[in-house]
Amino acid sequence: MKNQPLNAGFALNPFVQKPLLNVSLCFLFCLGSLAGQTQESFTLSGQVFDQKSGSTLPGVAVYMPSGKRGVTTDLEGAFSIRTSIGAQIEFAFVGYKKQVHRVTDRQPIKIYLSEETSLLDEVMVVGYGSSTRKELTGATSDVKGEELEKLNLPRLDQALQGQMAGVNITSNSGSPGGQSIIRIRGLSTFGDNDPLILVDGIVYDSEGLNTLNPSDIESVNVLKDGTAAIYGVRAANGVILITTKKGSKNSAPQFEFTTYYGIQETTRRLDLLNATEYAVIKNNAFINGGDPAPFANTALGEGTDWQDAVFQTAPIENYSLSMNGGTDRSSYSIGGTYFRQKGIVGGDKAQFERWNGRVNYTNEISERLRFNSVLLYTFEERAALPENGIGSVLYNTINAYPTEPLREDGRYSYLNLVNDLIHPLAQMENTHNRSAVNKFVGKEELAYDLAPGLTWTNRFNFNVALVDYKAFNPLTWYGPGKPQNTAANDELEAPRIEIADSVFIDRGANVEESRSTYSDLTFESYLNYEKTFQEDHKVKASLGVSAFSRRGEGLTGVAFNIPYNSLDFADISANQAENGYLNNTYSFQFRERLLSAFTRAEYAYKDRYLFSTILRRDGSSKFGANNRWGFFPVFSGAWIISEEDFAKVEGLDFAKLRLSFGTSGNDQIPNFAYRALLNGEGVYVWDDIIRTGVAIGRAANDDLKWESTSQWNLGLDIGFLKNFSATFNYFIKETSDLLFQPDVSGVLGTYGPGGYPPFVNAGDVRNSGVELELGYRTPVGSEWSFSAQINGSYIRNEVTSTPNGVDFIPGAAFGVGGNIATRFQESFPIGYFIGLETDGIFQTQAEIDNAAVVQAGAQPGDLRFVDQNGDGVINFSDDSDRVQLGSPIPDFTFGLSLNTAYKGFDLSCHVYAAIGQEIIRNYERQQPYANQLDYVIGRWVGNGSSNEIPRVTTDLTRNNVFSDHFVEDGSFLRIRNLQLGYSLPKSWVNPWGAERLRIYVAANNLWTLTAYQGFDPDIGNFGGPLAAGVDYGFYPQPRTFMGGLQMNF
Amino acid sequence: MINWRNALMLLLLSQLGCRDYLDVQPEFALDAENYFNAPQDYELALIGAYDLLQGSFVSYWIGEIASDNAIAGGESVTDTEGLHQIEAMTHDAVNLELRSLFRWNYTGIARVNYLMENRDKIDFDGKEGIVAEARFLRAYYYFDLVKFFGGVPLVIDKRLGSDEVTQIDRSSAAEVYDQIEADLNLAIADLPWNQPVKGRVTKGSALGLLGKVQLYRGKHAEAASTLDQLITSGPHALVSDFASLWLAANENNAETVFDIEYSNQEGGSYGCLICLEGNAAPGFQGIRQYDGPFYGDGNSYNLPTQDLYDSFDPADPRRDVTVLDLDAFIASQSNPGSINYAEGAGGHTGFYNNKYIKRLSEIGLPDNDLTSPLNYKVIRYADVLLMAAEAHIRTGNESQALNYINQVRNRVGLPDLQSGGAQLEDDLWKERRAELSGEGHHFFDLVRSGRAANEITGFVPGKHELFPIPQVEIDLAGGNWTQNPGY
Repeated sequence: MKNQPLNAGFALNPFVQKPLLNVSLCFLFCLGSLAGQTQESFTLSGQVFDQKSGSTLPGVAVYMPSGKRGVTTDLEGAFSIRTSIGAQIEFAFVGYKKQVHRVTDRQPIKIYLSEETSLLDEVMVVGYGSSTRKELTGATSDVKGEELEKLNLPRLDQALQGQMAGVNITSNSGSPGGQSIIRIRGLSTFGDNDPLILVDGIVYDSEGLNTLNPSDIESVNVLKDGTAAIYGVRAANGVILITTKKGSKNSAPQFEFTTYYGIQETTRRLDLLNATEYAVIKNNAFINGGDPAPFANTALGEGTDWQDAVFQTAPIENYSLSMNGGTDRSSYSIGGTYFRQKGIVGGDKAQFERWNGRVNYTNEISERLRFNSVLLYTFEERAALPENGIGSVLYNTINAYPTEPLREDGRYSYLNLVNDLIHPLAQMENTHNRSAVNKFVGKEELAYDLAPGLTWTNRFNFNVALVDYKAFNPLTWYGPGKPQNTAANDELEAPRIEIADSVFIDRGANVEESRSTYSDLTFESYLNYEKTFQEDHKVKASLGVSAFSRRGEGLTGVAFNIPYNSLDFADISANQAENGYLNNTYSFQFRERLLSAFTRAEYAYKDRYLFSTILRRDGSSKFGANNRWGFFPVFSGAWIISEEDFAKVEGLDFAKLRLSFGTSGNDQIPNFAYRALLNGEGVYVWDDIIRTGVAIGRAANDDLKWESTSQWNLGLDIGFLKNFSATFNYFIKETSDLLFQPDVSGVLGTYGPGGYPPFVNAGDVRNSGVELELGYRTPVGSEWSFSAQINGSYIRNEVTSTPNGVDFIPGAAFGVGGNIATRFQESFPIGYFIGLETDGIFQTQAEIDNAAVVQAGAQPGDLRFVDQNGDGVINFSDDSDRVQLGSPIPDFTFGLSLNTAYKGFDLSCHVYAAIGQEIIRNYERQQPYANQLDYVIGRWVGNGSSNEIPRVTTDLTRNNVFSDHFVEDGSFLRIRNLQLGYSLPKSWVNPWGAERLRIYVAANNLWTLTAYQGFDPDIGNFGGPLAAGVDYGFYPQPRTFMGGLQMNF
Repeated sequence: MINWRNALMLLLLSQLGCRDYLDVQPEFALDAENYFNAPQDYELALIGAYDLLQGSFVSYWIGEIASDNAIAGGESVTDTEGLHQIEAMTHDAVNLELRSLFRWNYTGIARVNYLMENRDKIDFDGKEGIVAEARFLRAYYYFDLVKFFGGVPLVIDKRLGSDEVTQIDRSSAAEVYDQIEADLNLAIADLPWNQPVKGRVTKGSALGLLGKVQLYRGKHAEAASTLDQLITSGPHALVSDFASLWLAANENNAETVFDIEYSNQEGGSYGCLICLEGNAAPGFQGIRQYDGPFYGDGNSYNLPTQDLYDSFDPADPRRDVTVLDLDAFIASQSNPGSINYAEGAGGHTGFYNNKYIKRLSEIGLPDNDLTSPLNYKVIRYADVLLMAAEAHIRTGNESQALNYINQVRNRVGLPDLQSGGAQLEDDLWKERRAELSGEGHHFFDLVRSGRAANEITGFVPGKHELFPIPQVEIDLAGGNWTQNPGY
């Protein structure tokens, strides 16, 4: 083979026009030439036992170290593997020492494994290859699929909360299908902070995590430090590697059926005023405002409890069936799941349903060629309510006043006293939408052993999503003058629209339908090499290329005048719009590509000194020709101290010191951000008709490039006293050249309709922190077992520079049209809160008159603000008296998992805590008649009555200016999951043909310890990093009580 | 057969050969650098330049609220806080409303400049007209800027890169005015008296704006001549019924010299007021939580003062057309007890702007606070007559001035004035306030006539004639501009 010329097929294929296709063609061609590659080999069978107890060990990895081939033992501990005389076979199993067997003959063998003191030899997935826990030089965290599955949470990201140090998950909404926010080692940019997520090597977007079934997952490994840069320009926010379940070779089909059913309720209701309290407080406010008291009689009882009307209990259910098995050359894992969750607000109107199908198939085509195919299919359907903002269902619920009945005159009441509130039940009834996603994700992979230790892997990944959306917007009437009305009157008549001089048409109910298609295709080809020289020198190397392409296109139509204003006719085909005049269509399409080459070299001397370097070159179509290519290097090393003679200390089983430095990138900005397109909005009215012209959208920036993150990591892994393990990491992560759309001078003319300032690279952010993971487990095989994992992270986030001339980037507004309360500003955390500091309450007029500081308009009972700059005046319009009032980023997050089992019983508990973050209470409508939280009962009513809660008034007041009065401590500790299970004795279940039957009861979000007054302190950032910690009436996460069973047969 | 060498070669080749792979071009999208290939392109770019006119409500509000005509109002004192500061004359260089005004006008200018930069790319019949309209728009936007801020940076016929912005300084007010006059004179030459399409600017619009500009500059003789030309040669006249002038149904009449056009056919959101196709002012100025006949509900902005109400001759029918005395209106209805409204905590005077207000018969799509079809009447013929009168008084032609003023008075049934000298000047300003209040002119009338310090509480002469350039705009332009005096 050595001196053969290049195959003619290659020479004739210049990789120019359609390289992806060509590379694949060549790849197929190569396959053809592989036929007939076999060697002298046979199938060796055997059985694996526990040394101590003598019982069989299922699930033991049996593999030959030269290749990547391997099988696992079945439930009887049996295996069979293709091998040859003289080959080495290794046996590895969690908690046991690895054992090597040299094949001498063809007779079946018996292997006895003894317990290991650590998990060091466990195989870990890293980018384009694998490593062992012992050999890793980077900072990673991992969690097993079974830990996640046990939590019975609908989404993988929810299940990851509190599982790993440095991986912070916050919930964006508790509604079914609602998203979480995943942050690895803090917020590093103003823009996209989502990590790169790969499922079996396939790029998955964090939004799409909804479609992943947690019970399909074998393990999750997170690359947190610079070594993530094996994924180059997309790795700056960390990388999450998800592995799905695979079958074992030489095993009979094993079936598993799992199900659970639960009832959800809200974790919390707000303490709002009842009718009597409300009337008293409003009378007080109106009298203070110089107006007559609105309620002559305040003995109104409890009144309407709007939360009672809106919150309900709702079911959650899951059914899953899977089959694993294999022959001597192939293995398969097939599964299907149905999941449904209804909303604790809205029931069917906030529902999420998901069907998953999964096939994972591997085949040894020949001795040297292996095939792996993964297909994940998902269909999901979601209905959603307006949530988390002004006008959301819960916002209306909180602010609706208790003196209004639920119904009057045979219809929903109008809540007339507050103009922009509408009846939450009516709002839910009028909300009709459905989004459905068909998603196909998979890969076809061939790995070929070119030579001993040298493997060539080629794979083709796909991720295709078809997204359908349909919404029906009926004519609605919520009461006179409500902005949300779409009907002309309470008869639900359509408004008449003048389309030309004295030409009127009806504008009736409308339906919006859209279909979008997104497809990601990746071709990857890489070589892995591994060899040990002269016993002490171990070398591993990888070299590869990757081509990624993403396409998206979508079409949306809106049609009016749906017959009878009825859901039964809610389809574009049924529209009766006069001459189609009001109907509209939109479309979009985009393409983006990435081309990469990477190499990794690892060297270990005496299993003691480890060095690794990664170089990656990426080209991204997101950038212009000036800055298309990026280069990302990583250097890391580790010293396994416990291998040194001087460190052979009693009780210390393992100790490794790690150091890494790496640079990675972030290219997550819109396509063509570097050039100016005429996609602005230039619309004006001529002849009473709206004319659409053209205007420049985002301004161009030819020099735009990716943002880059450099990270230092110092780590220590130790194992001690046989059953304990600990990992410690300290990191400094600096992100620079942030991809930004900062304010630019208005003179540039980019602030018109549909116009935006250019993207630029400006600003720096620094994250530094400490992470600790501690683990304990009783030795395997104990009758009573116990394990505990604790992880904690401390993070400090700071903006270290902002673009020239930009003092800060404004974030979320407080109240309606009020002050900007959050900012991105140098020397402060991203999205910190800024406002006035209070210093109690003015008790008397004399106190105001004699105060050293002039506070315009102050009256007794008003908040007294602090004069920060000492100029003797409280300035309400500029920054001179504003200070940091908090930060939405927790200082410290903490996770605890406890598992114990005795005989057939098992008990587990998972706790999560986030400490040191603040939340802005922004769901109170500052309107005279809006309902309020009951803390106002303790308001100031006269000298000495309160020094914290100001008077109530309908008159002009500065009490509603953003101040620390509206900032609350958001720290919380939550029992995320508590579960008690019982596995029926085998003697009971075997007669039914079952191998194992476990039944359990569990509770999620059972209990939360917090001082926060809102629905849920675990709030994410609905609307970008600068909206973090701003509570608009968050859809709370449910508390769920459930029961379930797991059956293997 | 394959071996590691050709595997390696394949990997390398794929990198070398794939340079074009990343060259992704936008599909189905117009690129800014490759436009203006057909006459239609110019008209569409012109529409884009017109669009920014619709942000005029800010300058209109400030023209009222900064004067003694109106208070800011609204839901609270922090609701559009910039207007509250302007009302109290405590405004400084941090003011969101002034910043919007600054940015939107420059966006309009940039869109005109984008068209003008490419005006020689192709030739076609009718291009002169499009270019003339573009020049008018640029003059309009610069006039708004110079009126509020004095001299501002001049950018003409080109787009500015973000690195160039730090290299330009504020031009003097005179330079800006010269540019405005130059644009308008060129526009006048090419614009027709009558446009077949309602809403496009005419020769009359350009003459009216030029006369106003000359008046603001103190070029009274030129102003008199420009406005006389408009009065004598143009097609404009006063409509007989002053009250009906304000209804959407009667828009674009003989009195319209220049209107900004709005539509009620596209919904809108508070998130982007400059994106609206409706006029935001009538909804914002509507009666808070009003539930009753004739009017719609709104946000109680820009509320007329008692001072304005009292300034009218009780016999002047324009008082009740201009100012709505809400309680009196409710009391005059057949069922006053069933009519409700709320007072905003941002201030309450009992009066509402009756010229631009949400009426039930003129409701737009949701959110109908934002979708009023009411055009903003920037220059109407009555204003032209009064401006011409002002120019003639200043140049000593009192009889011509009286003639013009009396045309305006006679239309609402008021008797002729016979005054002269200082009394005539005083009468002119009274007439302007009676005729034009609620239309955004009064603050600038007070400044131009030197009476602002007497009429506006807190007005500091030498400072408040101009508004401060937003500090953030000075910073973003490199920090080299000199702030207006006193700020």
